[in-house]
Amino acid sequence: MGFLYKKLSEKDKEEIKKEAKRIMDSFGKKLSKIKELPKEGSIKRENSIREEGPGKDGSPDFKKRILENAPNKNKDFIIAEKKGWE
Amino acid sequence: MTTLEKLKKYLEKIKEKDKDLNIFLEVRPESELIDEAKRIDEKIKDGKAGRLAGYVIGVKPNINVVGFHASCSSKVLEDYKSTYDATVIKKIKEEDGLIIGMVNSDEFACGSSGETSAYGPVKNPVNPELIPGGSSSGSAACIAAGFCDMALGSDTGGSIRNPASHCGVVGIKPTYASVSRHGLIDLSMSFDQIGPIAKNVHDATLLLDVIRGKDENDSISLESGKLNLKELGKKKKFKIGILDFKIQDERIQKLIDEKVKEISKKYGWNVKKVRIEYIDTAIETYYPIVYTEFFSATRKFDGRKYGKKIEDSCGPEVLRRVLGGAEITRSEHEGRNYYLALRVRKLIEEEYARAFKEMDIIISPTVPRLPHKIGEKITIEEMYSYDALTIPSNLAGNCSMSVPVGKVDGIPVGMQIMADKFQEQKMLEVGALVEGFGERR
Repeated sequence: MGFLYKKLSEKDKEEIKKEAKRIMDSFGKKLSKIKELPKEGSIKRENSIREEGPGKDGSPDFKKRILENAPNKNKDFIIAEKKGWE
Repeated sequence: MTTLEKLKKYLEKIKEKDKDLNIFLEVRPESELIDEAKRIDEKIKDGKAGRLAGYVIGVKPNINVVGFHASCSSKVLEDYKSTYDATVIKKIKEEDGLIIGMVNSDEFACGSSGETSAYGPVKNPVNPELIPGGSSSGSAACIAAGFCDMALGSDTGGSIRNPASHCGVVGIKPTYASVSRHGLIDLSMSFDQIGPIAKNVHDATLLLDVIRGKDENDSISLESGKLNLKELGKKKKFKIGILDFKIQDERIQKLIDEKVKEISKKYGWNVKKVRIEYIDTAIETYYPIVYTEFFSATRKFDGRKYGKKIEDSCGPEVLRRVLGGAEITRSEHEGRNYYLALRVRKLIEEEYARAFKEMDIIISPTVPRLPHKIGEKITIEEMYSYDALTIPSNLAGNCSMSVPVGKVDGIPVGMQIMADKFQEQKMLEVGALVEGFGERR
């Protein structure tokens, strides 16, 4: 997770870690007061598989609009920097 | 009044007052709006117009509308132009609603005050010194300021109902999965719902009826049936539960209790107190889920396909949640904390299901405190406490709404009306009765 902390001071990092811990600690404290938990949280639905019909024709200028938003691109491609996340 | 006349009135008001209120991020070019208003008026004249013809609508900037910036009120997406219409927008356009522009909000919907926008805080039209509430701050404020008829907001833990309450307008959080999230830039996928904000219950109901329903682009969405606007206010007798929950500001609870007493006397409501077990765990359960899901949702903002890298360009509240989410996710063992939070959430959901076997409706204040002054320093705990009464409905997945019922210290106060999942019709019928007893703005 180090890549996320590029621009923060050591003090800021510690503060955020402490706050995340506080959130989990207060959750843990409340959790300990619950006698029995249900098995899972889920959404009830009759059918989770959608029916596939014939494909739709996309908007002809969709690709153009997508490329307009890209910070770096050439005619047909979005250009991503190599290993930029390191 | 024609659509064109109404539009011109709104545009004039926006020009005159929005410099101070900071509600709109983007208003559509006037010539385009006028052309469309004329087209709508022609359709009305020919008797071919849709159900939203004549209504002018503002949109929260985390909802995609082709040609507009879906900036999420953030510098991260300030140059991002939507490439498609969200399903709710498509439906509004099909019914001839006139979209006027994108309104301000908390950045990436992270906030309860309307202060975290990268474009400055929205001011409360009722009292510009105060916060309007959030995160759909601009959506509620644009109605209260008289800048449009209706607006779309999104509600993850109270983000529609909270600003509706502080601004004195009507806001609805629909049942989870009843409105398509396709085209909504997510904060927390298992809570987010798009919903309407309007001047009155009728208009909010109309917009809700247009946008709800199953959508093949949102796999969890479900069919939810048509709403019957003609039935609003007809049925009078309901079984009402008053939520047993101690809030900070007793004056707010007193106002709600008095209104309920007054209404039940007139309509013969059967009223009793209702206790929801584990409701005091709601905030503590909500935040681990939101932080985890938000961290996951923001991984796409890497600055490659669009926008800027989120960690480099977002504000402090968003960064807090991104990095906090990273910590919570990292500290977990195979997703254990998230999984446990989902199970507590299920417990709260079951508690509400049990209560709704006895009651038609559960009533409480929408927000347990009055809004603070813009810029006033409050603790994170105080900020999160704004949503103490709205979060349970997101955890349970049921529907709820805020209807203005009066004022405390000259500030509007909303009554939260909550019903079981997919019982919007019942909730709206009670909302229409309550509306008749509120102080109209």
